[in-house]
Amino acid sequence: MTDVMHAEGGATARRERKAISESLFAWLLVGPAMIFIAVIVAWPLAETIRLSFMEAGLGGEKFVGLANYEDLAGSRRFHQTIVRTFYWMFLSVALKLVLGLIGATLLNAAIPGRALFRVLVMPPWVIPIAIGCIGWLWLYNGYFGVLSGVMMHLGITDGPFEFLAHKQSAFYSAIATDVWVGVPMVTLFFLAAMQGVSRDLYEAAWVDGAGRWYRFRRITIPQIMPVIVSMSLLSAIFTFNSFEIIWILTEGGPRGATTTLIVDTYKTAIGNYKFGEGSARAVIIVLLLGLFSLAYLFFLNKVNKKYGVK
Amino acid sequence: MNVTKLSLAALLVSGSAISASADTTELHFIMCGGEVREADQKTVDEFQAKHEGVTVNLEAVPWGTCQDKSLTLAAAGDPPSIAYMGSRTLRQMANNDLIVPANISAETPYQDGVLNTVTIEGQAWGYPHAFSTKALYINCDIIEESGQECVAPKTWDEMYAMAKGVVDNTDVAGVGLAGKDFDNTMHQFLNYLYSNGGAVVDPATGENMLDSQQTRETLEFYGKLVDVAQEGPTAWERDQLRDLFNDGKIAMYVQGPWGYGQHNEDINQLIAPVPAGPSGESGTILITDSIVVFKGSGHEELAHELAQMITSGDSQYDLDSTWGLTPILDYAALGKTDLYYETGIWPNFTATISTGGPEPLVEDFKSLQSVFTNMVQGIILKDDTVDNLVTIAGEELDEAL
Repeated sequence: MTDVMHAEGGATARRERKAISESLFAWLLVGPAMIFIAVIVAWPLAETIRLSFMEAGLGGEKFVGLANYEDLAGSRRFHQTIVRTFYWMFLSVALKLVLGLIGATLLNAAIPGRALFRVLVMPPWVIPIAIGCIGWLWLYNGYFGVLSGVMMHLGITDGPFEFLAHKQSAFYSAIATDVWVGVPMVTLFFLAAMQGVSRDLYEAAWVDGAGRWYRFRRITIPQIMPVIVSMSLLSAIFTFNSFEIIWILTEGGPRGATTTLIVDTYKTAIGNYKFGEGSARAVIIVLLLGLFSLAYLFFLNKVNKKYGVK
Repeated sequence: MNVTKLSLAALLVSGSAISASADTTELHFIMCGGEVREADQKTVDEFQAKHEGVTVNLEAVPWGTCQDKSLTLAAAGDPPSIAYMGSRTLRQMANNDLIVPANISAETPYQDGVLNTVTIEGQAWGYPHAFSTKALYINCDIIEESGQECVAPKTWDEMYAMAKGVVDNTDVAGVGLAGKDFDNTMHQFLNYLYSNGGAVVDPATGENMLDSQQTRETLEFYGKLVDVAQEGPTAWERDQLRDLFNDGKIAMYVQGPWGYGQHNEDINQLIAPVPAGPSGESGTILITDSIVVFKGSGHEELAHELAQMITSGDSQYDLDSTWGLTPILDYAALGKTDLYYETGIWPNFTATISTGGPEPLVEDFKSLQSVFTNMVQGIILKDDTVDNLVTIAGEELDEAL
């Protein structure tokens, strides 16, 4: 009896030891990643949040509580910047998705030289953004740029037109460049998703007499919908935080017409050395993107349920 | 065995590296402007020859990022030993305890107004090293093509009439205007403001003087010039206007003395002081760039010595004359006889020194720049009235001071 009890006690102890060692092993596996995330993400985020409660500059820091946030809440210019940022994001993302969908559909069609066309889509994505933007900078130049020259030649304008000199044209020119940079990625993701759609579905629909548009609308779109939603979120985050394009083209001007939240944050924190005020802006960006991501997850969940994706 | 040998070798190598670094001192010299001029390099070589074991690591950084880089390094506790920067940053660096005062001899014969560009409440914080004034460049071929006589305009009215004549009779813009989000948009505006008796900050009291009748007149004139200027001034900064001038697309624009050598040789240029406004006499913005010595590098004494060598006497004359700068020192008082600035184009750039005004020294220079850019772009884009724009600029300047 005693031997049996001893044996049971020994087995329990071994199980406990094994459980502990497995748990330890799991922590050892996860540990490096956690340390990495803590150093790369958590610490800078915590530091940014801390700084947002400070009046911080080149000379040091002083705790000011919520003053930086109160200033932003009362700033009409900041409110305009938020509205402009969302307008910039929605318009640019919508254009990228529509053009990406059109591009992917064309590249998915059985046409000669399809592989070549697929390669030709890549350059805007492959070329470093700064180099691409400098090219656009010249295109938009009123006196030396192609666009203005063509417009004059066609009689659309009677003289040079500086695309980046006027508030509206500067804003839409920056959007055009952002779309140019962003469309290839969207196109290729959509193309990959389209190639995963079963041929059987199209053949069955074709046998039933469904036309091209009907097949596209009722088969292609529903089948790639999860990818469309995913790309929408990714593209929205990239576009929301798009900095280089605006900075190289206009630096946020003229008169703030192309200043989005990320440009405003850079100008405040790095340009003017107002690290506290800049951090408050950065925290607001994180919050806005967090809310946007939650809304996306909710929407993605609904889409997945609707189309039976697990 | 192999491991032991390797460890010993590594120890020896690191040991010799440590002893080597202990024998040398390196001054980190950030040179804004993206290039090291021959005159400066020569002085640096002389300095290194004089101090055995001292090396100067000259890092040329373009203007667009240079000042931010120097300030950020200093704020992060890793300051350069010495830097050549715009004097406008001095107050910000001095107020934040990043630089040390300059030791300038009282006998150094600087031109009028030069020391004001580096002095804060009686203390000089930088060694002035490059000085510029501005003047109006006119392409006489275009003026004559428009049926006008190429005579330097003395007043704003004459300047506008000349530019209008060009627009009415040719396909060329009458004048080049800078309006981009850039520092020289403010500089261009100040050329006209100082030529109209205006001021930004009272140098004695530090009082905000921007919201004035002179500023209103100047902004109104700037707005009037938009009608005879190149398309879209808000996309152009001063140095880009040079390309338009060289291409024969603008008839005139305001530029520093270096512009003369950068313009195409086949352009028949006339240079004149910036025309006078209704409330003032012809003036210019006085801008200097300075050598500053940073605090905490551990080599402040050596840095001071290098700064003094590079900014005085023959070295400075060599730089001014070869680079084509407005003379920063009265070289006649130093015994120089071959004074390059007494003939040719130079009187147009030296005549207005006494009526010129400084680039304002404020702690938050970027905000100051934004105040002017907003005001100037506001009138260019016809966003608001002159009165409102100047009032708003005055209020914004209060916050920047």
